[in-house]
Amino acid sequence: MSRPGPWTRWVRLLEEREAATSLALFRIAVGASLLYDILTVVAADLVVPLWTDAAHGGMRAYGPLPWLVELLGGATPGTAWLLTAAVVVGSLQLVLGLLPRAGALLALQAHLALTWLNGHAGGSYDDLLTNALFLLLLAPSARTLSLQCRLRRGTWTSGDTVASWPRWLAVGQLVLMYASTGTHKLSSHWLPGGELSALYYILQQPSWQRWDMALAAQVYPLTQLATLATWLFEVGSPLLLLAFWYRRDRTRGGRLRALLNRVDLRVPFALFGVGLHLGIQVLMDVGSFSAVSLSFYLCLVHPDEWRALWRRVRPAAPSPAASPARPGG
Amino acid sequence: MSEGPGSRPSWWAHLRGVLVALHIGAVCLMALPAPEGGMNRSAWSDPTVQAELLAWHGRLSVLGLDLEAEELEDLLWEFARGYMEGREAVLGPLDPYYRHLGTRQSWRMFVAPHRNPAKLVVAVRTEGTWEVVYRSRDPEADWRAHQLDHTRTRSVTFRYAWKHYQRPYRRFARWLAREAAVDFPEADRIRVYWWRYRTLSPEAVRAGETPEGSVERPTELDLDELRAELETAGSSGEAP
Repeated sequence: MSRPGPWTRWVRLLEEREAATSLALFRIAVGASLLYDILTVVAADLVVPLWTDAAHGGMRAYGPLPWLVELLGGATPGTAWLLTAAVVVGSLQLVLGLLPRAGALLALQAHLALTWLNGHAGGSYDDLLTNALFLLLLAPSARTLSLQCRLRRGTWTSGDTVASWPRWLAVGQLVLMYASTGTHKLSSHWLPGGELSALYYILQQPSWQRWDMALAAQVYPLTQLATLATWLFEVGSPLLLLAFWYRRDRTRGGRLRALLNRVDLRVPFALFGVGLHLGIQVLMDVGSFSAVSLSFYLCLVHPDEWRALWRRVRPAAPSPAASPARPGG
Repeated sequence: MSEGPGSRPSWWAHLRGVLVALHIGAVCLMALPAPEGGMNRSAWSDPTVQAELLAWHGRLSVLGLDLEAEELEDLLWEFARGYMEGREAVLGPLDPYYRHLGTRQSWRMFVAPHRNPAKLVVAVRTEGTWEVVYRSRDPEADWRAHQLDHTRTRSVTFRYAWKHYQRPYRRFARWLAREAAVDFPEADRIRVYWWRYRTLSPEAVRAGETPEGSVERPTELDLDELRAELETAGSSGEAP
């Protein structure tokens, strides 16, 4: 039988299915990150200052408004609180797994309206959050580990399968973020051959410091090493996608394929990435960036691997049927 | 969905293939490096940006570039402008997709350390004596730190320290004044300014040096006037 063409192979690829565990964990983590993000704003009593017009006690005077803010009556405290409540409800739906697609849509539109309204009061973590919500809008993420599953089947978990491509898109999004930020880092402080002083000086910036970072001067060579490692990690991150692709067919030839199949690149990638985000979380205040980024890492693990890990941790748990897709794919 | 490996994919499978491919194309295009947010010529005069340009001039000179630093800056500006125009032409039609579905790809994170940052300082005058009530990252001057030190407000102050954010900075100072008018009922004036300094090199920190800085863009407001406005607005139901 002749090999199907590239388009047919692409279409068939998107038909692959797997257990819903990774997607469910992603949903819960994104919901929790979003909930944390919005509740810190509420706790700091910043809803009105950040998201209402100066005429109503806000920090800014707004011109054209996002369509949803306009629809709800303008940049007033009532609108700001309504949108904030919508984000809270939507993120709770994601955490609990109760109509999560509707929750993702609600949280996405409310979050977009708020962050679009005051673009000065946000960062890349907002974009990462909305990209995650968009993927959760597309994916049936409540098949397992959800209140919906509990209500339907009487158990919290199920062996139902879902399409694999939303999880792949999440991995692709993570890699795209790293590759893009890495290729933007053209400063002489970042590039190999330069001073490699970027991380040291970034840690001295008062805007993002969590603590006084004068101590970094005592371990300057370590910060240089971390600068180089971070840059290499970000610029080299697309290799992870290549490794995923190669692992799908280990039988074909090629040195790079053989090399990338000898080591599971996900392990060093996740070890460095998790360490990087934990470091950022401890040393800097960049909001929910680390939490949202780490949510994407959950998609690096195939559902069968999560389930195998769970069985190892809880040997008494029932053993559900394995899903058709191969681990690591 | 197709029935098995040998069967023909359904029309939905094909449509899904097209949509997923379009999504990947759209997000990859937007993630390509671009000086978005940096296309303000006045921002290029900032010492941090100038230092980067000089570093690149030095590096390219070694490789045989025969241009003065100013000429290189002009060349880069023209290139960046052309590139951004081309980018806008390509991404413009996709804007609703990014904007309304949250698929924007803006990953210009810490592209260069800011060597000349600024700290926000707020001082109030009570009975003729000035007192600093807030200074970024200063536990001794922490008025409304729960708000001003929040990540989202840090983003605000990080931006407003740049000169081209003068207008929203003034509005922000007015918001601070309004809060201070309530929190410091005895105070009659408020001064908001930036204290800009050059971050110290590791050698300078180890030598025990402290950064030297200067006051930038001080804004002073009359709190008594603001209170009077607040009272009037309170009776009409609007903030001043």
